[in-house]
Amino acid sequence: MRDMARRGVRCGVGLMTGAAAAAIELPFAVLAGAALLPVAAWPAGRRAVLRPVLVCARRLAELERARLRIWLGVRVPPPHEDLRALRYVAGRWALGLLGGVVMLSAAIGLGYGLFWLYGWILLDGIRDPGSIALSSFGGFFLLFLAVQGIFGVAGLEGQWARQCFGPRHQEELERRIAELSASRAAVVDAVHDERRRIERDLHDGVQQRLVALGMLLGRARRSQDAARRDRLLGQAHEESRRALDELREVAWRIYPTTLDEAGLRAALETVAERASVPVRVEYHLTEEPERAVATVAYFVVCEAVTNAVKHAAPSRIIVAVGGAEEGMVHVAVQDDGCGGANASGSGLFGLARRVAALDGVLTVISPPGGPTVVSAELPCA
Amino acid sequence: MRVILAEDSTLLREGLVRLLAEEGHEVLAAVGEAESLLKAVAENPPDVVVADVRMPPTHTDEGLRAALEIRERWPRVGVLVLSQYVEKRYATELLTGETEGVGYLLKDRVVQVDEFLDALERVADGRAAFDPEVVRQLLGRTSHTDLLARLTARERAVLAEMAQGHTNAAIARRLHISQSGVEKHINAIFDKLELSGGEGYSRRVLAVLRYLGS
Repeated sequence: MRDMARRGVRCGVGLMTGAAAAAIELPFAVLAGAALLPVAAWPAGRRAVLRPVLVCARRLAELERARLRIWLGVRVPPPHEDLRALRYVAGRWALGLLGGVVMLSAAIGLGYGLFWLYGWILLDGIRDPGSIALSSFGGFFLLFLAVQGIFGVAGLEGQWARQCFGPRHQEELERRIAELSASRAAVVDAVHDERRRIERDLHDGVQQRLVALGMLLGRARRSQDAARRDRLLGQAHEESRRALDELREVAWRIYPTTLDEAGLRAALETVAERASVPVRVEYHLTEEPERAVATVAYFVVCEAVTNAVKHAAPSRIIVAVGGAEEGMVHVAVQDDGCGGANASGSGLFGLARRVAALDGVLTVISPPGGPTVVSAELPCA
Repeated sequence: MRVILAEDSTLLREGLVRLLAEEGHEVLAAVGEAESLLKAVAENPPDVVVADVRMPPTHTDEGLRAALEIRERWPRVGVLVLSQYVEKRYATELLTGETEGVGYLLKDRVVQVDEFLDALERVADGRAAFDPEVVRQLLGRTSHTDLLARLTARERAVLAEMAQGHTNAAIARRLHISQSGVEKHINAIFDKLELSGGEGYSRRVLAVLRYLGS
């Protein structure tokens, strides 16, 4: 009951401010209409007139949004486009006036309802108690109706705002489809980049080592001098070990099998162990995320740590993984290096695409002088 | 021989320098990109240039471009191109124009030290050296398969050897047949492929290769 009363009072205030706003909106709508009428058939002129009109409409719509939020408890997104703001303002004044009428009715009802009080206190003899009682009853009844009206108008206000500001279902779908197409294309690109990188890794690393190894062996076979042959064979042996290491590195960069075998935590700890800079892993997830999420989280950490070590000369790196809120995995990699990371650089850009493919968001905060924070929010389906 | 090397992988470059030095050749310069290669050749033209197809900055075909330029500006310098894969396009480009003293080897062939050194010498002498794999692919992908189909297996083997730039004597040795046998096969091949026999080995080889690569 108290809540109800509080809400009623808030809505009442909202309606009164709304009525006051209507006093601005109605002239604005009339003026805008009058200005647009002569140039309706002339596109260039129409655009010239529309521009200031739309700016005003947007401002008014913003004020209205604030009023709706504070007094009526209606939250609507900002208008999609200025024309919609104009449409809203052009129609809103009617609701404002209606709200004003309702508030006036409430005041009249209250006045009549308290008529007996006035008679009782101020008048000596009451000549017609029946009519006083009747008008009091009528007043209270009007007050009751007006309070209903307050809630009703508040509801209408919300509906009108949602209808004008909220994206239509069709638009929502179109936006989603555009988003999905973009992220799908990005995934294809990311995979392509990945493959190119793997090819380069194999060629510039493993294959060169194997060729060098073959050459060492070839030279050893041609060598007439036993001592030199032994030395070349020793070098070849060493080279074969390096080629194996290189191969292991490349395989690991392509896909860390630890992720499947021992989960994200173990894979991240491996990353920490392999880094040449101290890396602390703070892992707060209670259960293993699904594979797609775990893989992307892993690559975010891997790439961010590699980047930091390569470019920022940090003294330590902190990797934090946790559930930021229900249904989200939050990954953050912070280093105390020199900062100035370029988020549109190929590595980070590729990461952003991978994260976007899961409907996640990657943010890079890297002021010159550091510290750099690369973080990703990944929704779990 | 005086050699200039252009290879962007330090590891491989060093290996090649050592190998050539051990074999008694003189390495005038070993560089890592095409620009420096041209500069080095201009300063001191060698007998032969060994160049990787892919080099910085774009890792596409800088090495090949440089090789073609060297062919044009210093026709006396032999050019041996090393490639990661068989790129028919590159092979064909090398085969157009005056192509004596040209070679195209797969990079991995360097591992076969004897073959590599042999190819290098052939190119330096103004003959040709084409990787067996390149030849195999050109033979396999030619638009003249109807003509090639007329060849016997033995003739096909001789053609492949010939296309790699080997002399008749070398072919005879490699296929374990007599030199007159080789000449007989070659005449049969030219008849079947409707090629008029030209003068000298490399020209015949290039005629065949050009025919196959067209």
